[in-house]
Amino acid sequence: MEEGRAERRRRTEAPSHTQGGPRRAGVMTDVHRRFLQLLMTHGVLEEWDVRRLQKHCYRVHDRTAAVEELEDFINNINSVLESLYIEIKKGATEDDGRPVYALVNLATTSVSKMASDFAENELDLFRKALELIIDSETGFASSTNILNLVDQLKGKKMRKKEAEQVLQKFVQNKWLIEKEGEFTLHSRAILEMEQYIRETYPDAVKICNICHSLLIQGQSCETCGIRMHLPCVAKYFQSNSEPRCPHCNDYWPHEIPEVFDPEKEREAGTSRATKRSLRSRQH
Amino acid sequence: MLQKPESGALPIPQAEGEKDGDRDGETQALTASQNEVPSPFLQESPKEDLGARKEEGATESALTPKGSRTLAAKALARRRAYRRLDRTVAELVQFLLVKDKKKSPITRSEMVKYVIGDLKDLFPEIIARAAEHLRYVFGFELKQFGRKHHTYILVNKFKPLEEEEEVEEEDLGGDGPRLGLLIMILGLIYMKGNSARETQVWEMLRRLGVRPSKYHFLFGYPKRLIMEDFVQQRYLNYRQVPHTNPPECEFSWGPRSNLEISKMKVLGFVAKLHKKEPQHWPVQYREALADEADRARAKARAEASMRARARARARATDRAGIYPW
Repeated sequence: MEEGRAERRRRTEAPSHTQGGPRRAGVMTDVHRRFLQLLMTHGVLEEWDVRRLQKHCYRVHDRTAAVEELEDFINNINSVLESLYIEIKKGATEDDGRPVYALVNLATTSVSKMASDFAENELDLFRKALELIIDSETGFASSTNILNLVDQLKGKKMRKKEAEQVLQKFVQNKWLIEKEGEFTLHSRAILEMEQYIRETYPDAVKICNICHSLLIQGQSCETCGIRMHLPCVAKYFQSNSEPRCPHCNDYWPHEIPEVFDPEKEREAGTSRATKRSLRSRQH
Repeated sequence: MLQKPESGALPIPQAEGEKDGDRDGETQALTASQNEVPSPFLQESPKEDLGARKEEGATESALTPKGSRTLAAKALARRRAYRRLDRTVAELVQFLLVKDKKKSPITRSEMVKYVIGDLKDLFPEIIARAAEHLRYVFGFELKQFGRKHHTYILVNKFKPLEEEEEVEEEDLGGDGPRLGLLIMILGLIYMKGNSARETQVWEMLRRLGVRPSKYHFLFGYPKRLIMEDFVQQRYLNYRQVPHTNPPECEFSWGPRSNLEISKMKVLGFVAKLHKKEPQHWPVQYREALADEADRARAKARAEASMRARARARARATDRAGIYPW
């Protein structure tokens, strides 16, 4: 019986390795297992790190084999992970579009992955920060505003000084990013919690007009209000000297960032500030 | 067996369920994927649905409205039960992985309390399937121990790595190389008398093939890493040097660096780099020694005050006869 690869994947069943021999899901070898273990350890990895990781796993377990193309390698693993409601998801950093990978939960149980590292009141602090970030115009919540909510936290009472340190802990564990005293979500949090966020805050949540994924930081059209991720803006308006809003066709008022290209040298991060963008913090 | 698909003729939209009912005893053979996306699946293989329905319809006349409704209800209930079982197994796998990260053993009662709930009669099957997933997918063995064998741990089935492989593995994840870069900068700052001009830092990095705005395969964008990340994480201080024209900026150690590493360690690193002994730089060596002495004194003071506080607390509870907390 001839089946296309796509069809085979769609009809993936639970690990039939228990019944003797995988039927149509991908095959796991020690190369894949080590890869998964290490990816889990790090939480989130940038693409160049993931490639190094993949090569490392081959070197340890199967020196002679040819290193499979990363996308196929990951799809293979994902077909096995499907029955466990998890997958290796690819995303991009919101500020300059660097590709990142994380192992995410497909069944939405919110901040469950953080639960092992944080106490109840700390998790609640994260939730409060998350709400402020989602509600904000810029995708950033100020340290002050977060700390002012310290009295409302569930669990053991937390002082502001302590809360400051907890926020730093979130930064170190790659759940939040800090920029000049303000906090936004790390790409890890966006990857892992997108579903949870969309379900929990359906009214407040912002979506990118181009890729239709969750949007925390981005640019917005001042006329019709649609929003776009910075890397999505970069790709959409690439080499377009007169950028116009895809929705209302009005002139796009913000500076167009550059498409992420690891080979090219360019202005790294920081203040992509034109006077216009400064006004609205470029959202 | 392969009949002409007449998808329009199927009276019940849950024809997909018939397929599940067909393989009653094989609980492993089901996944969420079939259940989450019913419509494309329906359109894709209506032939199988027809075949399954034929086998199922032996007892009840599947063609009467009542018969087909009962059939559908049964299939739906069965499907729900399988789905629930699958989800519980998946949740247990995740629960075990998360708990194992903390290196704490997991008890059966914890599993029942947080994951399994009222499916606890099916515990043996659930844990067996979870164990198989952990073994096949992640390379972990679920081991039991304890008197009643109700405590579990995950054991990595991989053998320990060769040294060079281990080093390579530790290097992954960005932190290693980035912290290496940080230590180079801390070293430069220290050797230049606890502050280094920005131009000096970039000059050193240029010699290492690192340019500020060129994406580096180990460090990402170095300018962002150093000027933003390291400064925000308090590893480095960055300030303008007063009375300089054109204005120059300098780096110094940030408070986190002072907490996480010592001058002596950084001097040791610089010495190794130059294949010399730390004493080769007498000024810095003396300073590092003094720093070590300071740290030892501070540590002793902290320990003493902790002991004093503990004693005071003990006395207070003795007097009050109750715990103050």
